[in-house]
Amino acid sequence: MEPAQPLIEIQDLHHTYEGAGAEPVHALRGVNLTIEDGEFVAIVGANGSGKTTLARHLNALLLPTRGRIRVAGLDVHDRAAWPTIRSEVAMVFQRPEDQIVATTVEDDVAFGPENLGHAPQEIERRIRRALTTVGMWEQRQRPPHLLSVGQQQRVAIAGALAMQPRCLVLDEATAMLDPAGRRQMQALLRGLHADGMTVVLITHWMSEATLAERIIALQEGRVAHNGSPRSLFIDLDKLASLGLEPPPVSLLASKVARHHPEVPGEVLTQDELIDGLTPLLADAGSHPPTTLSTPEPPDAGGQPLVVTRDLHHTYLADTPLAAKALNGVSAEVYREDVVALLGPTGSGKSTLLQHIAGLLEPHAGQMTVLGQDTSSSREVDQRRLRGRIGILFQRPEEQLFETYVGDDVAFGPRQLGLDHQAVRERVRWAMDLMGLPFQAYKDRFTQSLSGGERRKAALAGVLSLRPQLLLLDEPTAGLDPRSRRDLLAILRHLNTAEGMTLILATHNMDDVAVLTERVYVLNEGQVVMEGTTRRVFSRAAQLRALGLDVPSAVSVMTALHERGWCRSEDALTIDEAAAAILSCLPPPRSGQNAVEDGGEA
Amino acid sequence: MSQLEFLRYVTIGQYLGRDSIIHRLDPRFKLLAFTLIVVAVTFSSTYTANVLLVLMVALLLSLSKLPLGHTLRGLRPALPALALLALFQMLFPPQSFGPAQDCTVIWQWGFVTLTTCTLQLIVVSTARLVELFVLTSLLTFSTTTTELVHGTEGVLAPLQRIGFPAHELTLVVTIALRFVPTLALQMERLVKAQIARGADFGTSGPFRIIKATRRLLPLLVPLFLISLRRSEALIVAMDARGYTGGRQRTQRRRLHAGPTDYVALIAATGFCVAILWIDTISLDQVLIAWLDTFLASLK
Repeated sequence: MEPAQPLIEIQDLHHTYEGAGAEPVHALRGVNLTIEDGEFVAIVGANGSGKTTLARHLNALLLPTRGRIRVAGLDVHDRAAWPTIRSEVAMVFQRPEDQIVATTVEDDVAFGPENLGHAPQEIERRIRRALTTVGMWEQRQRPPHLLSVGQQQRVAIAGALAMQPRCLVLDEATAMLDPAGRRQMQALLRGLHADGMTVVLITHWMSEATLAERIIALQEGRVAHNGSPRSLFIDLDKLASLGLEPPPVSLLASKVARHHPEVPGEVLTQDELIDGLTPLLADAGSHPPTTLSTPEPPDAGGQPLVVTRDLHHTYLADTPLAAKALNGVSAEVYREDVVALLGPTGSGKSTLLQHIAGLLEPHAGQMTVLGQDTSSSREVDQRRLRGRIGILFQRPEEQLFETYVGDDVAFGPRQLGLDHQAVRERVRWAMDLMGLPFQAYKDRFTQSLSGGERRKAALAGVLSLRPQLLLLDEPTAGLDPRSRRDLLAILRHLNTAEGMTLILATHNMDDVAVLTERVYVLNEGQVVMEGTTRRVFSRAAQLRALGLDVPSAVSVMTALHERGWCRSEDALTIDEAAAAILSCLPPPRSGQNAVEDGGEA
Repeated sequence: MSQLEFLRYVTIGQYLGRDSIIHRLDPRFKLLAFTLIVVAVTFSSTYTANVLLVLMVALLLSLSKLPLGHTLRGLRPALPALALLALFQMLFPPQSFGPAQDCTVIWQWGFVTLTTCTLQLIVVSTARLVELFVLTSLLTFSTTTTELVHGTEGVLAPLQRIGFPAHELTLVVTIALRFVPTLALQMERLVKAQIARGADFGTSGPFRIIKATRRLLPLLVPLFLISLRRSEALIVAMDARGYTGGRQRTQRRRLHAGPTDYVALIAATGFCVAILWIDTISLDQVLIAWLDTFLASLK
């Protein structure tokens, strides 16, 4: 039988962005790829490696500077083929709010089929099918801006599905979702793939990339890896050189295997790891519960920095669109704490942060920040308080406004009325701290920085106020693995070395595991769980029911625990989990492996 | 601080879903009927016409099942302006209301004179503004933006034949409406971020205008950049979904007018004609004369 023609065929693809007066950027430098019908392919790579540029060539949104692309046998240079190409290869982008054109869900889904010139009955049929597939049929009459980000993203996928494509390309489409939204999206993609859809998934989440059958890693515009996820994720050196990280479970397995050669080190999923551990742990039999030597952080004494009592807030109060955001929140944050606010989208995390920052006025309840009652008295010196509280909103890089980085960072101190020398000192301190050396970066154009650098500049602009309390809303969302690791290290440093109190709202449980001491879990405007990070994450089932998750390490340990093995309940990070598992395992059988183990140790 | 809620000021598209005859009208017919009644309001200058108009507005409001309180609440900010307008009309009556006309003086204090003519002017113009306000609220509360857009396109469709870009215009309006709340939220977030960094949006004092303008810069620059980036993203997304302009595009919604829609339009036309007729024959004068004789006969 003659082999079928590949769905997408790319030969020696080059793409160069020519900016007016700017240096041309060579985004792609010779990419060769084929994507077959019905494949599930993941594309990974550091920021700036050319992932988005490559994706936009897959349906002729960008045309090659050099090279050839054929989609479903059609040349992308043939303008007349574009409608066909775009109905065969549909695309979903990172931010749903930028791709929704209409004022109701169903009208938006209709946009593609309308463009393709289908009859009204056919369009209705497609809307119903697409919205049913993504589970949004019930919401079809609603305006998109009142939906959660996860729902908006599902509407965007429905809009793509309504064109009945053979291939769906998702460009970091899960970056902004909460754990539940992410799980739903992954289940949706698996279902579509099972039904024969070709899926191309661009992602920064390595555990998400393991869903794919094939993984393509880009580096500086070239294909650096093209093969199974396993072959990429077991090669830690190669990953590091690509600016990537293995999925947490793979990292855990490799750490355990390093000291215990009978454990398979090359696993991708939690199930594989547990299957690999089963014979060893079953041999060892029931093991007495172990406790690692990590003491619970003391319930810090002294004056709490932030106290809220029965806080209420309603958006658009006294209008028919009123929405209750906080429904009686009581919480306390002590000096030099690192506290995480967890909760599904719309649970009130951002609202609570804004209350602490003094940007919203509570409708009921009490709020004390840095010893000042901010809920009742209007005479509070808000400005002085504001200098002492820093807040970093979501996507802070969009809020830069000065031409030069140094000026933007200096905005806060200048507003505080400091003299020139003091402003300069603070700007220098903040920029150096953020890894943007003052001398090298102060006169750089803000807009010429990379995404990760811009986020750092924005944080420097908040730090230059020298706040005692730093509030962060989704600080690592949308960053590539390396920038994320950098930022987490900086936040840790701010807490330990500078004595700053941090409160962060996040969807990333692994960030919480490495950074925070205490956790508040919000749901529908109320605190539903609170306690030390360990204690909260020990209730995995409850967290999952809320649409949240636990860190990868906790997830593995909980699964072992459920089987009656290795009952160590206080492992939070990958290193702790590796130590806990090793302590439960029977000692490695002496033999040929011991040499290997010794060699590595 | 509680004023930092920009969506509160965005009333466009504040649709309030109710199951009513007004909500169900074909948007094209609703728009045309609305236009006719607005014409009637604009040209009504007599008591009788305005009494009829107020009754009409009340009837429409009750048919629409919309909450009266919420509909009228939007008037509150306009009350000072209405009072000021009334005051000016009393202090500086138009020249045409001179003694030549049969205006009788009701009340006089210094140079301020209130005649029957100025009283009528004040009452009628206030009533007209209130009627217009309630009518507009009625339209936007009972019609989704999508319906409004499709209605406009339907009304303008005949002009497409003479080269008027009805479809493109409609798409532009839809996207603009779609992004109003998004940009309002964006602006709110920028204001908060700058306040948190010590910016001050509330002080007064000398050079306030210069300060205010300089304060806007940190907001406008990112807002423009974000809007540009957004529109670029939107263009790419529309491209990816096969948009190539209006030519071979189909419409999912086909508006179908039913008997109710025709009845509503005919009723609105009849009402408009009646109001204009009442105004031209000055039924008021007839009624007042009749009332005078009636009162005289009582004595």
